[in-house]
Amino acid sequence: MEYVNTVGLRLDGRRPNEIRQLRAEMSTLASADGSATFEMGNTKVLAAVYGPREASNRAQTDTSKATVRCEYSMAAFSSGERRRRGKSDRRATETSLAIANTLEQNILTELLPRTQIDIYVQVLQADGGMRCAAINAAFLALADAGVPMRDSVAACAAGYLDGTALLDLNYTEDGGGGPEVAVALQTGLHQVLMLQTDSKLSMEVFEEVVELASNGCRAVAEFLRTTLLAHVGRLSLATSIAKSEA
Amino acid sequence: MTETCTPGQRLGLVTEFEPGAGTYVAGSFVCASLVGIQRTVPVEETADKRLPRLEVSRSTRPDPVPSPGDVVTARITRLTPRLALADILCVGEHPCAQRYSGVVRIQDVRATEIDSVRLPAAFRPGDLIRAEVLSLGDARSYFLTTAKNELGVVYAKSIAAGVPMVPLSWQEMQCPTTQSVESRKVARV
Repeated sequence: MEYVNTVGLRLDGRRPNEIRQLRAEMSTLASADGSATFEMGNTKVLAAVYGPREASNRAQTDTSKATVRCEYSMAAFSSGERRRRGKSDRRATETSLAIANTLEQNILTELLPRTQIDIYVQVLQADGGMRCAAINAAFLALADAGVPMRDSVAACAAGYLDGTALLDLNYTEDGGGGPEVAVALQTGLHQVLMLQTDSKLSMEVFEEVVELASNGCRAVAEFLRTTLLAHVGRLSLATSIAKSEA
Repeated sequence: MTETCTPGQRLGLVTEFEPGAGTYVAGSFVCASLVGIQRTVPVEETADKRLPRLEVSRSTRPDPVPSPGDVVTARITRLTPRLALADILCVGEHPCAQRYSGVVRIQDVRATEIDSVRLPAAFRPGDLIRAEVLSLGDARSYFLTTAKNELGVVYAKSIAAGVPMVPLSWQEMQCPTTQSVESRKVARV
């Protein structure tokens, strides 16, 4: 298949360095302490954060810092073919660990000793880049829950097909057999929190792809920032109305 | 001046500001750790060599937490011979986001004739009570008291008909449908 045509456009009409349309909504669940939905094109992810709360398992309580746990799952209806519920999905477990590890580095865990923060991420629609969408959704949900954090986190993936570095691969491009690198950045501190790839790739290609993914992260970060600011604006408006009525 | 900020945003220099709630120090900068509204608390007149404090607070009001002396609204969940267990729903006028458990011990039900109190004659599971927080209590729950005229049951449903009852005296409530009288420690509202 031709992933980049002669005009330089991809299968879905994007340029190689173009990200999919981003959409986000915060506080989508009433029962969670913080929640958010995040969409990258047709990939849609829902994240819910419970906590910081008292650790449920006394034995695992860390007296010096908070414990961050994550559960990532894909809804049975999320992909093209309806998936049976397996017993334990190894890929999901691995993604859970990656999400928890990425966000734990960003949370000021030492401020919240003996507590536990649970992050539940569910993929509602899968169209590639779920891991990155999950990290972005979880970051928004943590911010919504009021968990103290070091910096903004943004994640984005990039791949390499047809001799071109492509930003934010969709499902079809993901199945193209080329390498894909997922990057999560602390955009203010310029720190890499996560860098994952399943394939071998040469040094030059790697650098090009990582650079592209980092630029994608910065674009996502800007979007996340405006989302957060708009949400705070709505909240303060709501509370000021409530106060004037009281 | 209010300004909203996001985690990691640099708010000012450590040499010019003191980090307050919702901020942390990274290198020589005071940075935000929360999404919220940034405020500067000016220096107090008396303090010498103090810097103005930078704070970031979430615009939503923080969850109310019961503290001794607060009047709370609670729902009775269980009765034992010695105490009534309750879930605290509101602190003052503000609803709690989290469930706090409280306990009314038998000696805290009413102010007079403490020794002859029978708990089933004072509360029933499901009743809404108004109570005052006595102390932070034990590891599990807050200690509550209803030993005042204005404290006690404010809303109770009758056993027979399941409809809200009308207070008759400080010790009795009546079901408007079946006219049956049940005994409660009624609050004077």
